[in-house]
Amino acid sequence: MTGKTIVVTSGKGGVGKTTTVANIGTVLAKKKYSVVMIDADIGLRNLDVVMGLENRIVYNLVDIIEGKCRKQQAMIRDRKLHNLYIIPAAQTREKTSVTPDQMKDLCAELAEEFDYVIIDCPAGIEQGFKNAVAGAQTAIVVTTPEVSAIRDADRVIGLLEAGLLKDIHLIINRLNHRMVKKGDMMSTEDIISLLAVPLLGVVPESEEVVISTNRGTPLVHDRGSKAGVAFQQIAARLNGEDIALDMEQKVTIMDRMKRFIWS
Amino acid sequence: MLKAIRRFFGEKASSQMARQRMQVVLMHDRMDIAPDIMEALKNDIIAVLSRYMEIDKRTIQVDLEQGKNYTALISNVQIKRVYRHSMST
Repeated sequence: MTGKTIVVTSGKGGVGKTTTVANIGTVLAKKKYSVVMIDADIGLRNLDVVMGLENRIVYNLVDIIEGKCRKQQAMIRDRKLHNLYIIPAAQTREKTSVTPDQMKDLCAELAEEFDYVIIDCPAGIEQGFKNAVAGAQTAIVVTTPEVSAIRDADRVIGLLEAGLLKDIHLIINRLNHRMVKKGDMMSTEDIISLLAVPLLGVVPESEEVVISTNRGTPLVHDRGSKAGVAFQQIAARLNGEDIALDMEQKVTIMDRMKRFIWS
Repeated sequence: MLKAIRRFFGEKASSQMARQRMQVVLMHDRMDIAPDIMEALKNDIIAVLSRYMEIDKRTIQVDLEQGKNYTALISNVQIKRVYRHSMST
């Protein structure tokens, strides 16, 4: 059995990489796949708090790589799903304590045991990024509809392609449909035409995301959350399921009237 | 309402401004990453031109010019002789 290794990256910080990893991992585990999520952000770990597992950490990623513990000892099992694990990052170590080759070996070993290995990449394009990307076959680039996030995403896509990682997918996070309609935010089409990478899904801006991270329970556990549904569809597409991308372009009569007055 | 009035007087939507600015910025960024791509582009231009005319390969210059809202590729090359028919490579 060889699983898929997927890195979630963005260049810019704070666009929702960790939230994306937590939600995609949880959906895939709910679909009965075995999933391990690696927090590769050494020195600034967060995946553990987003998953609500911060109290259970004993060993971490650097401990595995330095041979201080077995892989199984550092893997923390999710509270709800028994086929979902995280490997936390070290909090008091340097990014240089791991090399790309070591990450590649670790990911290959984990892919033997798990259906999905999902890597949470740190922001930036230095050593930490190189480590996180080294062991991945597929990359998910997360961006928001802001110029700074898009520019950084484009840079990261260029670096991934130069590093011969060609299987790249895009997630647009925090899209505000109301602002797009008013012409105050770049639309999904605008962003795709700029970045020229296949779209995996669009996550609407939502207060529920903050609430779920406050609780330490991924959004996809609740029903009826729009952002949660978006993550479910994204994970399903990643899993090869054929789910149409709805651009949510429901144009009502009111919109037409407004547009008529506006133009 | 104020915005509607401004739009009426021809102010662009901010999303369109963002899009146009990003088109220029990304083009520039992508060109910045790879001097080897510039070199390859130069060689391809020489190859295409050589099918139609004899050029002085040493004089070719390929530059990107950054305008306020465009990026242009500007190439200067000395032509020695133009062929009557295109030479198939």
